[in-house]
Amino acid sequence: MKKLLALLLTGCMMAATLVGCGAKTEAVADADAEVAVEETAEVASDLAYVQEKGVLVVGITDFAPMDYKDEAGEWIGFDADMAKGFAEKLGVEVEFVEIDWDNKILELDGKTVDCIWNGMTLTDEVKAAMDCSNAYCNNAQVVIVPAEKAADYQTVESLEGLAFAVEAGSAGEAEVTALGLNCTPVKAQSDALMEVAAGTSDAAVIDSLMAAAMVGEGTGYADLTYTVGLNSEEYGVGFRKGSDLVAELNAYFVESYAAGTMQTCAETYGVVAALVEQK
Amino acid sequence: MSVLLEVEHIEKSFEETKVLKDVSFSLNEGEVVSIIGSSGSGKTTLLRCLNFLETPDEGVIKVANEVLLDMKNPATLKESEIRKKRLRFGLVFQSFNLFPQYTALENVMLAKELLAKEQPEYKLRKKEIQEEIKALSVKLLQQMGLSERMNNYPHQLSGGQCQRVAIARALALRPDILCFDEPTSALDPELTGEVLRVIKELADQNTTMIIVTHEMAFARDVANKVIFMDDGVIVEQGDPKEVFENPKEERTKQFLARYKQG
Amino acid sequence: MELILEQMPIVLPALNAGFIQTLKLFLVTLVGALPLGLVIAFGAMSRFKPLSLLTKLVIWIVRGTPLMIQLLIIYYFPGLVLDNPIWGSGEKGRFLAASVAFVFNYACYFAEIYRGGIQSVPIGQEEAGLVLGMTKTQIFFRVKLLQMIKRIVPPVSNEIITLVKDTSLSRIIALQEVIWAGQAFMKGTQGISGAIWPLFFTAVYYLIFSGVLTVLLGKLEQKLEYFR
Repeated sequence: MKKLLALLLTGCMMAATLVGCGAKTEAVADADAEVAVEETAEVASDLAYVQEKGVLVVGITDFAPMDYKDEAGEWIGFDADMAKGFAEKLGVEVEFVEIDWDNKILELDGKTVDCIWNGMTLTDEVKAAMDCSNAYCNNAQVVIVPAEKAADYQTVESLEGLAFAVEAGSAGEAEVTALGLNCTPVKAQSDALMEVAAGTSDAAVIDSLMAAAMVGEGTGYADLTYTVGLNSEEYGVGFRKGSDLVAELNAYFVESYAAGTMQTCAETYGVVAALVEQK
Repeated sequence: MSVLLEVEHIEKSFEETKVLKDVSFSLNEGEVVSIIGSSGSGKTTLLRCLNFLETPDEGVIKVANEVLLDMKNPATLKESEIRKKRLRFGLVFQSFNLFPQYTALENVMLAKELLAKEQPEYKLRKKEIQEEIKALSVKLLQQMGLSERMNNYPHQLSGGQCQRVAIARALALRPDILCFDEPTSALDPELTGEVLRVIKELADQNTTMIIVTHEMAFARDVANKVIFMDDGVIVEQGDPKEVFENPKEERTKQFLARYKQG
Repeated sequence: MELILEQMPIVLPALNAGFIQTLKLFLVTLVGALPLGLVIAFGAMSRFKPLSLLTKLVIWIVRGTPLMIQLLIIYYFPGLVLDNPIWGSGEKGRFLAASVAFVFNYACYFAEIYRGGIQSVPIGQEEAGLVLGMTKTQIFFRVKLLQMIKRIVPPVSNEIITLVKDTSLSRIIALQEVIWAGQAFMKGTQGISGAIWPLFFTAVYYLIFSGVLTVLLGKLEQKLEYFR
């Protein structure tokens, strides 16, 4: 019954939004959303909200080695294991939900997830849209090219004239655009790899962590390799604006780094070199 | 012979156009009346008013002294009553309007079955009643000369056969008065004969009928009375021989003359 | 080729699981939208002007906007604007939200097809029924409905085949249907990464399924050939 009512309301809003002047109403809706989030922050804390429902919903994508499934179908990975520990500390269950990466802000603000914890690069856009934890991993954007051409593309200057494929909205896209290179945004980092493998793009730019897992000998893209690193960047966890969970998580990071559990976890998933000291 | 149908002062307009103007006539039980006149003279609208497919603006319709419709008395206009009143009349359409998804036999049985289902005793004697309806429908179709065609679908039948099924379908409900709206106008000329023959047989069995037709010879031979309509009024009515051979009105003369030439 | 055969035992179960979601969404949409469309069609044909205008407005909005946007609005708006994420975050909630969006969207398309179908039954059929003392309801169900169905089967079949493929839009709210499952092997899952073929292989599922439906709907059309 409640759902039916909400559905009706949604329908009405839909009508209102669409019938009225689109741009204007949208702005109002955005403002509403912000007000709503601020109110949550002021009135009831996010921590209380999560503890009351008893579950921390973590928005992820299938992204080894940070979040991926083991043979039993259980979510594991450096991020997944840390999220389990964090939830335990809060005294709540953890639920991993696969989301469409493009919609991560929608998922967060729409309260269908409570945090984005998936090797997320802390770009200016991300920091503008969410409140983020301290950085916990270093990462770089690397250039992917077919292995037999790798020797020709070892410097940034040599990249000129190549057609790049990059994930839309990713740190890689920002780098390539900043360098003034010719690029096509695609839906996911994996799509960017496919573009190179299929020869529809000359090169791609993806996360070095991902590149280590997916490119080169013994992977699905044995014919590809990575060359130049474009920048270094950091991973963080995203929460709703004004959420008090940020401070909780930072404290948990410090705690587990001091106890050495974070390092152990990083070793398990081979990201120890990238780990950022928590203090 | 007693008066079965009385139609008094019927008026009907569509938008600004007056289609029926002060139309009155009566019909005795067992009699046949033919209505003739050129297209647009209001014949079909008159039939549709009798069958409650149109509501007149003014006028009274009585059957066997019972007032079915009186435009001055709102009590007679109740939607729920109209369904029952319709059953006093049967209507055979120019374009048959058979139900295409039913066989000839099912077309004849359908309405009767639905009416039977409304009777309280239907549940008790379901099988029996269905058998009765089927027997009656088979008999009617045989009477129409369609014994071989009962299980055919309308699209498998000729126009003349379709129209005979439609007549059987109307007869199955045993209406007091059976109306025909140009029953042969949609037929190829060689098929009109079989339909007219059936109507003639019904007339011989003293079925009370109102026949709107362009078949002048038929109108004269089969009817006890002829009504000539023009421009929404009854110009002349009376004995067929009189009207056809000695029309009194100028308009009737002109109309009949046109037909003789044609 | 060898690699594909090697990956097959892992990929197929994952695609099957995804296809079950596709199938479920397809069936729920049909079961919900086919009758709801009739209700909406009657609303649009209502003689009560405000109702018919409102219904036509809704039909216009639903048919005039992309299904993808409707999915986003229905799933995210309650949480964003009402601060009440009614659907929940799990697979169940996403499926429910997708079902609502699909049922509503397809009901509006069906409604317009029905309306055309109902209005294409000649007026003489209704008049013949009235003259035979039938009620409006009897006339609708016993006389007009089947004739209408016969007329709408081809256009409805068309919509149904389109629906098979449209279900893939539900991945925008992260419903893990078959294409999502196929794409996962590109990003990397279950020890396979960079495998492109599973994504293209999902087309086989769609082809087979729409093939089966085409045959079934063709049979239905044939069944109604007995009258004209």
